[in-house]
Amino acid sequence: MKLVEKLFSVLILLFGVASLVHAQISLDITKKVESGGTPIAIAPFSGGAPEDIAGIVAADLQRTGKFAPQPPNAQANYSVTGQASPGGARGYIVQFQLSDAQGGALLNLSFDIPANQLRPVAHRISDLIYEKLTGEKGLAGTRIAFVAGGGGNWYLVVADADGQNPQVILRSGQPIMSPSWAPDGSKLAYVSFEGRRPQIVVQDVYSGARRVVSAAPGINGAPSWAPNGQRLAFTLSKDGNPEIYALDLATQSPVRLTSNGAIDTEPVWLPDGGIVFTSDRGGSPQLYRIGAGGGAAQRLTFEGDYNARPAVSPDGRYVAMMHRRGGRFYIAVMDLQTHQFRVLTSGSNAESPSFAPNGKMIVYSDGQRLAAISTDGTIQQDFALRGRARDPAWAPYGR
Amino acid sequence: MSNYIRILMAAASLALLASCASTGENTDPIPQDMPQSEATGQPGQEAYSYAYGQAPGGYDTYDTSSGTYGSYPGGGTSDYGQSGAPAQPQPPEPAMPGMGGSMVSADRIVYFDFDSANIRSDSQAIIESNANYLRGNPRIITQLEGHTDERGSREYNIALGERRANAVRQVMSAMGVSPQQIRVVSYGEERPAANGFDEQSYALNRRVEIVY
Repeated sequence: MKLVEKLFSVLILLFGVASLVHAQISLDITKKVESGGTPIAIAPFSGGAPEDIAGIVAADLQRTGKFAPQPPNAQANYSVTGQASPGGARGYIVQFQLSDAQGGALLNLSFDIPANQLRPVAHRISDLIYEKLTGEKGLAGTRIAFVAGGGGNWYLVVADADGQNPQVILRSGQPIMSPSWAPDGSKLAYVSFEGRRPQIVVQDVYSGARRVVSAAPGINGAPSWAPNGQRLAFTLSKDGNPEIYALDLATQSPVRLTSNGAIDTEPVWLPDGGIVFTSDRGGSPQLYRIGAGGGAAQRLTFEGDYNARPAVSPDGRYVAMMHRRGGRFYIAVMDLQTHQFRVLTSGSNAESPSFAPNGKMIVYSDGQRLAAISTDGTIQQDFALRGRARDPAWAPYGR
Repeated sequence: MSNYIRILMAAASLALLASCASTGENTDPIPQDMPQSEATGQPGQEAYSYAYGQAPGGYDTYDTSSGTYGSYPGGGTSDYGQSGAPAQPQPPEPAMPGMGGSMVSADRIVYFDFDSANIRSDSQAIIESNANYLRGNPRIITQLEGHTDERGSREYNIALGERRANAVRQVMSAMGVSPQQIRVVSYGEERPAANGFDEQSYALNRRVEIVY
């Protein structure tokens, strides 16, 4: 009896403490980028809109590592001017112009939008400028999903790529893991332990509706959406040990793709329908590759004693992974064409890499915080964020 | 331990079993539509989903490095949300907070070496005493919960935690415990018993908890 009372008082104590410390600490996400890049002068937008559009554009361009925003009238290769004023059919007219050093107009566009679209339009302007000047698609308008919390409350959060505007789409009293985006960006698959057992859930991001797609006995883990959007690969251990399966979402029939007494997990798709996954069949975790229908596995990694959690670049050329050497974990990337292997990060606990949809950046977690690094290792971004953020998944372009 | 606790635990195990049966364990993974959360949450419900931009609150920030909680206020006002959508009311019950640390007594915890699922000799006595109890109480179901330290890949650690729980299960089976009495679940590194970043904490986290 006494022990029961003790147990309950411990519970009450824990719950009480948890509610006391819900202090109002704002999530302060900023990023810093190594200096350098092409000077671009950005003037404050006139017109008195409630968002600082020029400030958002400057921050977006700075974050790419390829531009160095300057005050207006500074010596610069390019300049941006614009205005955002009440008007139009929807509430605001936003207009901007990108000019070269000689004053020649490179872009001159306007948008008719409601007030709640001022921030997204600022990101759109950043991406238009970036694409015009670099020839690459930008990332300012994309989003990143991640798992926040731990230790009693878990949250699945979708934030803008600049870390602002984080939106909770799931909260749970049990762990949430491994979010994976559908290729059109409308759904997330993830692992939820609600009911104290793992299951794979697909959730519509916009409606919140969700559906359990796998709740087999044992592990239901590591979901990964196929590039065509019609299949999910994941890990099940219902037959005794962890194996890779692919589920056709229309017919709901899972097909087993591996057959090995070791751990096979963390499948990710290649554009050709093949799958890269983690296996310790060779004694330590390493990456392997199988074809679209399974078959013999080809070992991909030989550097170091631990390579796991693969991520495939959108063009299928690179595989990013967790790589251990000297007892520390790094993000490494391998070129599947040349087999060149490169360690990108310098911290000590990097995990869970995910490629940006343009393939140029990789977001990852150090177990506590999110960070991003360019695939060529030259540009770093830090998300200075209070509280724990793990398992990032960069959303595809799309909706 | 008093009989009262035993009865309590047995009831909990039965409830767990009943809930598993009703959600389709041991059947094909037939898709099930989950009740949507929002304002229809049941007391004790563990998870709530929200349409993007419609969550009534932000999220608690849980910082293991400083050992502090906070919260991101957030919520409601979305740049992307359908304009004019009314804010959802707060769910009637907060999600049930799960326990971060271990609530299992020391005589039900089996520890493991780094990167290993081998049963250490110093664990034999703990497994044996629990196996004896289960053998004498064939109606009691135990859940073996496998855990790892926080180093390494989260999903690979789920597999490693299962391997550890299966190692304990095999020893218990060899000692005569019925397979029907044993369930296995792996939490990998998701539910550490200790939050430190040192070998002492890691050693406490590499464990199997014998829950019943």
